Amino acid sequence: MNNADSNRALLEGAQKRWLTIGVAGALLCAAGGFMNAEQFFRSYLFGFMFWFNLTLGCLAGVMTHNLTGGDWGIATRRQLEAGMRVLPLMALLFLPILFGVPKIYEWANPEHVAHSAILQQKAGYLNQSFFGIRAFVYFSIWLTLANLLYKWSGELERNPSLAIVRRMENLSGPGILIFFLTSTLAAFDWVMSLEPHWYSTIYGLLFIVGQGLAMLAFMIAVTTWLSNRGALSEAVGTKNFHDLGKLMHGFVVLWTYGSFSQFLIIWSANLPEETIWYAHRIAGGWKLIAIGLAVFHFLVPFFLLLIRNNKMKSNILVKIAGLILFMRFVDLYWFISPAFNTNGLGLHWLDLAAPVGIGGLWLATFYGQLRKRSLAPLPDPFAEAEQAMERA
Amino acid sequence: MASVAHSAPETHAPDEVVHPLIAPGNSYKSITEKISNVILSGKTPRVWFFWFGIAFLFVNILGLSATVLLLIGTGIWGITIPIGWGFAIINFVWWIGIGHAGTLISAVLLLLNQKWRTSINRFAETMTIFAVMCAGMFPLLHTGRPWLAAYWLMPYPSTMGVWPQFRSPLIWDVFAVSTYLTISAVFWIVGLIPDFAALRERATSRFGKVTYGMLAMGWRGSARHWHHYEIAYLLLAGLSTPLVVSVHSIVSFDFAVSVIPGWHTTIFPPYFVAGAIYAGFAMVLTLGIPMRKVWKLEDFITMRHIDCMAKVMLATGLFVAYGYGMEAFMGYYSANTYEGFMMINRMTGPYWWSYWSLIFFNVLIPQLLWFRSIRANIPALFWISMSINIGMWLERFVIVVTSLHRDFLPSSWGMYYPTVWDWGLFAGTIGFFLFMMLLFIRVAPIISIAEVRGLFAETRHGHGKKHGAEEVAA
Repeated sequence: MNNADSNRALLEGAQKRWLTIGVAGALLCAAGGFMNAEQFFRSYLFGFMFWFNLTLGCLAGVMTHNLTGGDWGIATRRQLEAGMRVLPLMALLFLPILFGVPKIYEWANPEHVAHSAILQQKAGYLNQSFFGIRAFVYFSIWLTLANLLYKWSGELERNPSLAIVRRMENLSGPGILIFFLTSTLAAFDWVMSLEPHWYSTIYGLLFIVGQGLAMLAFMIAVTTWLSNRGALSEAVGTKNFHDLGKLMHGFVVLWTYGSFSQFLIIWSANLPEETIWYAHRIAGGWKLIAIGLAVFHFLVPFFLLLIRNNKMKSNILVKIAGLILFMRFVDLYWFISPAFNTNGLGLHWLDLAAPVGIGGLWLATFYGQLRKRSLAPLPDPFAEAEQAMERA
Repeated sequence: MASVAHSAPETHAPDEVVHPLIAPGNSYKSITEKISNVILSGKTPRVWFFWFGIAFLFVNILGLSATVLLLIGTGIWGITIPIGWGFAIINFVWWIGIGHAGTLISAVLLLLNQKWRTSINRFAETMTIFAVMCAGMFPLLHTGRPWLAAYWLMPYPSTMGVWPQFRSPLIWDVFAVSTYLTISAVFWIVGLIPDFAALRERATSRFGKVTYGMLAMGWRGSARHWHHYEIAYLLLAGLSTPLVVSVHSIVSFDFAVSVIPGWHTTIFPPYFVAGAIYAGFAMVLTLGIPMRKVWKLEDFITMRHIDCMAKVMLATGLFVAYGYGMEAFMGYYSANTYEGFMMINRMTGPYWWSYWSLIFFNVLIPQLLWFRSIRANIPALFWISMSINIGMWLERFVIVVTSLHRDFLPSSWGMYYPTVWDWGLFAGTIGFFLFMMLLFIRVAPIISIAEVRGLFAETRHGHGKKHGAEEVAA
């Protein structure tokens, strides 16, 4: 019981620290909002999207683990579930975006629409009320999935049975499918439509891969933090980190594959309506960011993760995970900000305050959720049945 | 991932049967016997001769179609302007896709530590080799003078200073496909060596002993041999893994780098790769289901394998459907006249039947795989796989023909009608594929004896051991 007490104290401490940071960041953002409302909404969208992607990545991680199993998920299951439980906060934090639509999105500006035949044609999809309805539908679906999965894993903990495992599997299969579709459409709605003339069919997938990558990097970070403080069972060790490292390696490659494919296809065809997206993203200082992405989002982590030792030692792996989390910020910034700053880098202090503020609130909620249940791995009735049979 | 569960856990739901990867009641000896008896028993089932005869007939059709093609030229095909790419590219992509299951199973699943790959990997790798051969015939034959193909396709420093266009994915195809064939073949042959040695020991005829003896390349099964073998196998798996993705991504670039609506879309690379794996697993099941029955290999290709393959098909199939969905959505969302027209034309134009049959065969029918009972139903799985084989061919037909036949200018629209020689060549390659597969089953072990024995050792002695191969080599 002593261990449980010390865990609670540890998580409570973390929760308080992050809450302080979150509230301070939120106050800063509010002050910034009064000074420059337009900039506030732009920065807020960026900050929101990063943490939102992480939340959805956790939801997808839980569902994937229900379907495939695997040691990576046994070590991270509690953290994934806590991450998924931040969804109500994210739904709440989406409201400012809903209010800011006319300030953020070109298609919501009647003047712009009046001058563009294409935007008039798209108005059936890109309009404020439908945008709101869609967001409501997405969040309802995600919240339902997350709540059911969390409820059932609680039942599994109290009373392990194969029937509950099957039930979780049966929801997670269609759940992943629905997640793919809603997550894609949310990426189109909230980010791709910042440049409403532009479109790319791989865009949703790029977001989903980004969510997976952020999730894995965050899981490595938080699992290392917890295990270094003795909060996790001794079962969590080298093997789990090795698996997480391999998965992260795979996702780094997948991110590169998707990003490069989109670039190559658009570059080769050289159609002005498509190349404009890249033109904005290599204009002025953006070019440095683009090169930085190739080097630090791909080359450096790719080669570091090839080395087995780097994946097995959690204290090395966590540094690589930190780099990747940072690069996820940069990548998202490079996706969002050039839509507003088409001529070159336009860094504003709010671009830093927003992700820190939202992140503080996110992490405080996360640690609060993590406190609610034990940190020990979920019972696995399947594995137990199989082991029993093997002994027989 | 235990694999020796024999029956349902009594205290829980009775339908929770976990199927084993190797049927109970086997030993090292019985594994070797059952697999090598397919070749060495001397009893060839009558059904083999039946299908071999049919396949041989189609190999002759292939020969005839190729001969006429070389004598007269590609004018005997249905290609015209504007449909300059017809059956040749459709069939090339179809066959290359089918070849992808082999590499995925042998390389990616090995690295992912998925034990169910053992006992289907040899079969899938063999399929890969022959499918890539079939695929390769089309680009070679479409040059009209295949004996000059190397001169046109391979970059070499000639005095004329003429080079292929390095910016074209078509030349990347040449590199990607030939690399793929080479690595797959090396992987396959390396895997076969210990099995050839097993056959050498068991062969009764002098001819068999000598032939398998030479193919085994002096394999004695010493610890050092196994050590080197395992390293080579792992390295080749690592080398093959990028090839699973690269080949079909480059095939998708053949289309996607152009400016033709219906071809130029960014989802193509991942969607083609998923489609390739989908098609590959469908073909593994199409051939594997009858094979396991005819040669009584149910002990090694168990319901567990079949269930796993069905799940992979469901997942990749859903991704392919996601690709169709993205294309249709962007047809609307882009507000681009040509993109929108392309989608409407696919659905309602002269080739509407091909689009809707594609959706039926490739998207609707495979949804049955959601059900556990269907995944345990062998005849249903056979027909679903057949449906996917057809669906994946239709997918390439839709992409190639409907996108080309009506592009930007209505004055240059046209229709595509494949000729008897198009069909002859296509059917001929199917015959060739079947012919080669049937021959292979008769002369080499279609299931890896060494790996199944290794898996047997592992499951018998617990999970911690990496490979029990060393101790059972003798």
